[in-house]
Amino acid sequence: MGSFKLGGMTFGSLFKKPETLLYPFEKKEPYAGQKGHITNDVSSCILCGMCQKACPCNCIKVDKASRKWEINPFMCVQCSSCVRACPTKCLSMDGAYTPVSSAIYCNDMDVPEKDSDNNTE
Amino acid sequence: MDFKSEFTNIDVIAIHDDAKRRHEQGWRYVQILAVNKDDAIDLIYSYMLDGELDNVIISDVARDAVIPSISDIFLEAFVCENEIHDLFGVAFEGIAIDFLGNFYKVAERYPMTVITPEQLAAKEKARKIAAAKAAKEAKAKGASDKSQNDANDGAKAETRSSEKQGKTIEEEEAELEAKLANMDPEKAAKVRAAFLAKKKKAAEAKEGE
Amino acid sequence: MGKSTIIPFGPQHPVLPEPLHLDLVVEDETVIDCIPQIGFVHRGLEKLVETRDYNQFIYVAERICGICAMGHSLGYAETVESLMGVEVPKRGEYLRVIWHELSRIHSHLLWLGLAADAFGFESMFMHCWRLRERILDIFEKTTGGRVILSVVAVGGVVRDIDSAVLLEIENVLDGIKGDYEKIVKTLLSDTSIKNRTVGVGHISNEDAISLSMVGPFARASNVNYDVRMFGKGAYGDLSDFEPILDAQGDCYARIKVRCLEVIQSIDIIKELISKIPQGDIITKVKGSPADGAQAANVLEQPRGECYYYARGNGSKYLERMRMRTPTSQNLAGMTVALKGCDLADVNMIILTIDPCISCTER
Repeated sequence: MGSFKLGGMTFGSLFKKPETLLYPFEKKEPYAGQKGHITNDVSSCILCGMCQKACPCNCIKVDKASRKWEINPFMCVQCSSCVRACPTKCLSMDGAYTPVSSAIYCNDMDVPEKDSDNNTE
Repeated sequence: MDFKSEFTNIDVIAIHDDAKRRHEQGWRYVQILAVNKDDAIDLIYSYMLDGELDNVIISDVARDAVIPSISDIFLEAFVCENEIHDLFGVAFEGIAIDFLGNFYKVAERYPMTVITPEQLAAKEKARKIAAAKAAKEAKAKGASDKSQNDANDGAKAETRSSEKQGKTIEEEEAELEAKLANMDPEKAAKVRAAFLAKKKKAAEAKEGE
Repeated sequence: MGKSTIIPFGPQHPVLPEPLHLDLVVEDETVIDCIPQIGFVHRGLEKLVETRDYNQFIYVAERICGICAMGHSLGYAETVESLMGVEVPKRGEYLRVIWHELSRIHSHLLWLGLAADAFGFESMFMHCWRLRERILDIFEKTTGGRVILSVVAVGGVVRDIDSAVLLEIENVLDGIKGDYEKIVKTLLSDTSIKNRTVGVGHISNEDAISLSMVGPFARASNVNYDVRMFGKGAYGDLSDFEPILDAQGDCYARIKVRCLEVIQSIDIIKELISKIPQGDIITKVKGSPADGAQAANVLEQPRGECYYYARGNGSKYLERMRMRTPTSQNLAGMTVALKGCDLADVNMIILTIDPCISCTER
């Protein structure tokens, strides 16, 4: 009888480790390279704007004049195009998912002036 | 069995007969698609037999043309025909299940034929670049022809080579316009101003000599 | 003969995961005609190709459908590659096929769960989705996403799987196979399921061929057609590939074909893992498609053959991108299958055909 086979499987599950997690108390460790959100290490950012060009959803804005790097996490689709386009490898994909929010916001970062910039100018 | 994809051309009148012939020969209907062009529409019908994908192209169908439906032969074509009617505005005659323009609920009539002002501007730019490139090539060709004719004349060749180093102003301008076509207008204006200033300076320097 | 009435079915219906509307012409309890209608969720994704360059559009292409996300990005990339004459490294092709077959398993398991739920077989639904979760875990580990993978790029793939993880995938698949075979045996030998599906919604082999049906729907009517048998990409290196066929052409045959395809996919993945070569995973693509260049391509999605067409215009934007999805091809077959069935069987027939409407409308 077919149904007893499935019954056996269901019964066996009683003695196994649960397949699910008790979510708010236990949290799943993100895997290496999991696509959570984009972070920018501003100390090595040169504001070249390559990420802005590569982004398919226009969620990154780079303003060279006011030295601002801005991302809208609500428009970002976590495709990692910007990470691959970045020439100084200052962008990276963080494994943690962004928390829920009641309002839409942008993450803007001030990019400090570099010593090397001053030397060349 | 190997996969092979081919493109063939056909006239608009022959669509129905072609479909009929293929149905008898055991071809399988794959799809119909439309491509929106400046003043006409391309239709592509695809059929498959034993791994051979045949794409039949009907080029430059006028926007007001009435296309005979093939859904009496291949019933499943009604989806694509209704879709093309709703998105591109191509009229099909005798669709097996005709939705009369109510197949897709779209906010705008014939959305795939809409060309936004930005796209129009981009197209205009592309045309300008192509024109500038063609002009430059024609000029370069002319110069090389001239060089062959003048090859024996030593004195003349000298003057020509000096000319070659200093390009004519028109040529430089054409080149600049080609470069500017892709920039945003503010930046383009700045570059143009810088170009004029440079020219003026060069001219003044020449006068000074 | 009673008076004929029209019963509207959908777009909101418990059995339908997607918005499909049917006008069922019913006489007594028998459906005598049916008119399918879609068009509730048209999003205009094909138009977006004019504002996204050919590298960026891959992320739009995989959002056409949540279940066949991997397949759409793969089909789009293959089409653009043939448009530009790009050769994909062997390892890249293998990885693509491994992910694509994994997504076929995940799609079929999802469908099997939903079908079991529609029968009222809820413990089966739970077991199917429990197994599917393990596939999604593999996706999460190897690509970083669960549904939208974003691993395919024009020219190859962007992430490699190292040999330790490949071995792990093999172990997980072995674990799934054991449980899955038990589930399938239960499902296919259950009397109540047989009562509801055997002989229902029959499509003959001649009808299936003349209606140009594709995918498991056609293969259940003994149509020997599966794009994978053309041996494109890494499929060409398989020692043996035979489409799974069934001659019955009813709902039961369609369930059987899908069930067996999962086991076939597991075997394909295991064979590819044992054969995978070392080397590059991506070729750098430079330049843009030539003006007027065009390419057409087909790919086997979980639901059947999907057609892709691309035309270049000399810039980095494509002139036209077109996908013809398997469901659009199968809609006509569905109307034929529904003719003459009992009203109570309509949901079973639609479920075993498994239409994906948001794919079809793009």
